[in-house]
Amino acid sequence: MIAGVATGLADHLGISIKAVRIGLIVASFGSGAGLILYAWLWALIPSVEGAPVSSSGVLAPGGTAVRARDSHLGDLALGVLLLLAGASVIGARLGWAPSPAAVLPVLVVIGGTILAYSQLDEVERSRWVARAGVGTRGAVLRVGGGLVIVLVGVLLLVVRGTDLASAGRVLAATFAVLSGIGLVLAPWGLRLWRDLDAERAARIRETERAEIAAHLHDSVLQTLALIQRNADDATSVARLARSQERDLREWLYGPRPTADATVASVVKAAAAEVEDRHGVAVDLVLVGDGPLDERVQALVFALREAMLNAVRHAGAPVSVYVEVGPDAIEAFVRDRGAGFDPASVPPDRLGVRESIIGRMERHAGSATVRSDPDGTEVRLDLPLPRTASGPVSDGTPEEALS
Amino acid sequence: MSDVRNGPGTRSTGGVVRVVLVDDHMMFRSGVRAELAADASIEVVGEAADVEEAVRVVHGQRPDVVLLDVHLPGGRRRPGGRDVLERSVDLVGTATPVRFLALSVSDAAEDVIAVIRAGARGYVTKTISGPDLAAAVHRVAEGDAVFSPRLAGFVLDAFGTGAGEVATVDEELDRLSTREGEVMRLIARGYAYKEVAKELFISIKTVETHVSAVLRKLQLSNRNELTRWAADRRLL
Repeated sequence: MIAGVATGLADHLGISIKAVRIGLIVASFGSGAGLILYAWLWALIPSVEGAPVSSSGVLAPGGTAVRARDSHLGDLALGVLLLLAGASVIGARLGWAPSPAAVLPVLVVIGGTILAYSQLDEVERSRWVARAGVGTRGAVLRVGGGLVIVLVGVLLLVVRGTDLASAGRVLAATFAVLSGIGLVLAPWGLRLWRDLDAERAARIRETERAEIAAHLHDSVLQTLALIQRNADDATSVARLARSQERDLREWLYGPRPTADATVASVVKAAAAEVEDRHGVAVDLVLVGDGPLDERVQALVFALREAMLNAVRHAGAPVSVYVEVGPDAIEAFVRDRGAGFDPASVPPDRLGVRESIIGRMERHAGSATVRSDPDGTEVRLDLPLPRTASGPVSDGTPEEALS
Repeated sequence: MSDVRNGPGTRSTGGVVRVVLVDDHMMFRSGVRAELAADASIEVVGEAADVEEAVRVVHGQRPDVVLLDVHLPGGRRRPGGRDVLERSVDLVGTATPVRFLALSVSDAAEDVIAVIRAGARGYVTKTISGPDLAAAVHRVAEGDAVFSPRLAGFVLDAFGTGAGEVATVDEELDRLSTREGEVMRLIARGYAYKEVAKELFISIKTVETHVSAVLRKLQLSNRNELTRWAADRRLL
């Protein structure tokens, strides 16, 4: 009920929870054995919330007992206090009046234990939840504090009524014994710690490897399969290879994905789309980057149209250069087709006139088309407002008002 | 890469250009070998698959041009191509210098800039066509620089318009002249050297001079922005 130990135990032993509880309570009256058992079980049995039970080997055969508990330290402390109070009342009835000198050390021991155990709980929880020792300093402080308090309590209990000299002897003896134990256990503890560390590193590596494998599987392996199936079709093989190359390159060298789309990201996406649709390589060179807004988006649409024209009418190689400067964005699309005379384009052909030139002019930019027998170059200019950020407006109403 | 398609016609001497191929992929080496075989004035005299072998073969053969893969296995420093360059530095300043042309699938600016700064005379991507590659080999053999549009883009980004605001000590090395900037932009736009020359009403030789000047700045400039930029910016 307090820490869910009874529930867990009942689960593990396959008997009713009530029986466990009654057993524990009865045991508690036998000089508090049930209480100690309860606390001991609570400390050592892993809790259920982290499904992967720790392999610390605390539980012997079939050790899968888990505690179904919602750990509330406050409730726990209250419970312990109530139990203590009850025990002392019963003790008083039986004529055993504890002297204050005896009660105090016991209380100190219990307090220290709670402090240290609470830490254990927290460590366990944080390990399952975050997998990282957050606030390890606090943990050390609490465990250390708890340990010191318990030690003091035990000492008080042991040296009660003896003189200072013998107390010193007891202290020295205790210290010697503890040091001995520490000395013996240190290598073992160290190894355990190292193993844990190594295991954690291995797990991280494993996760990383799995992620890479997953990515390769979804991308490269799929593409390779597609290439094998289309082996006779040179165009689609080239297209598949090119698009896979771009994808992998972006994954390997590309900037970490950000929430906001930027000029560079949308231009890249547009070039990739054109490339995929027509199977013609687009050599894209990008200089600088900047935020995206409605006008920039218009430039990208115009740019896309220009790229489409180039791959449709001229074919590879198509060179695209986009420079995002502090004052303007300039974009160039160059192909090496036979060229055409912009003036002779019939008025009903809207591609260049509407989608490129008209669109740029509507957004206070400009577009020029230069064509000669060596090829065609479309140039797009979009002046940016002097203020680096902030919404773009074609007029200046704010200035007019001020 | 269209900037190097001006063909081998501009070669000054009639000699055969001796080339060593350095790449860890055998398939790629044989592909390049087959492509260069189409040009009678280029002879592949050696191949190497890792850093140690490359250093040995280059010193043994003393070729005119080394086609150097940026990412080579072996060696002490990353990328491996830079290691080869640094250990062949004794061959660069001689009367018959060995010149390096970097060839890579990696377009990570960091790696490209590292190899250029270690002494490569240019950088082209492995997707370059056979004739373009042959033209680039001849250009490098003559001591000129070979800039692909992408490398020109890197240069413009690193020496960018916005970056030159702060006056630094070594002014001359730290910024591009107006003309150099124009040349770089045209190359980035996909213009061949010949077309750049026509566009700017200058001779091809002048274009080559500008490009070589930019290469020198790229190699010698110690503005830390360049390195930082390259490290930060892993584009395309």
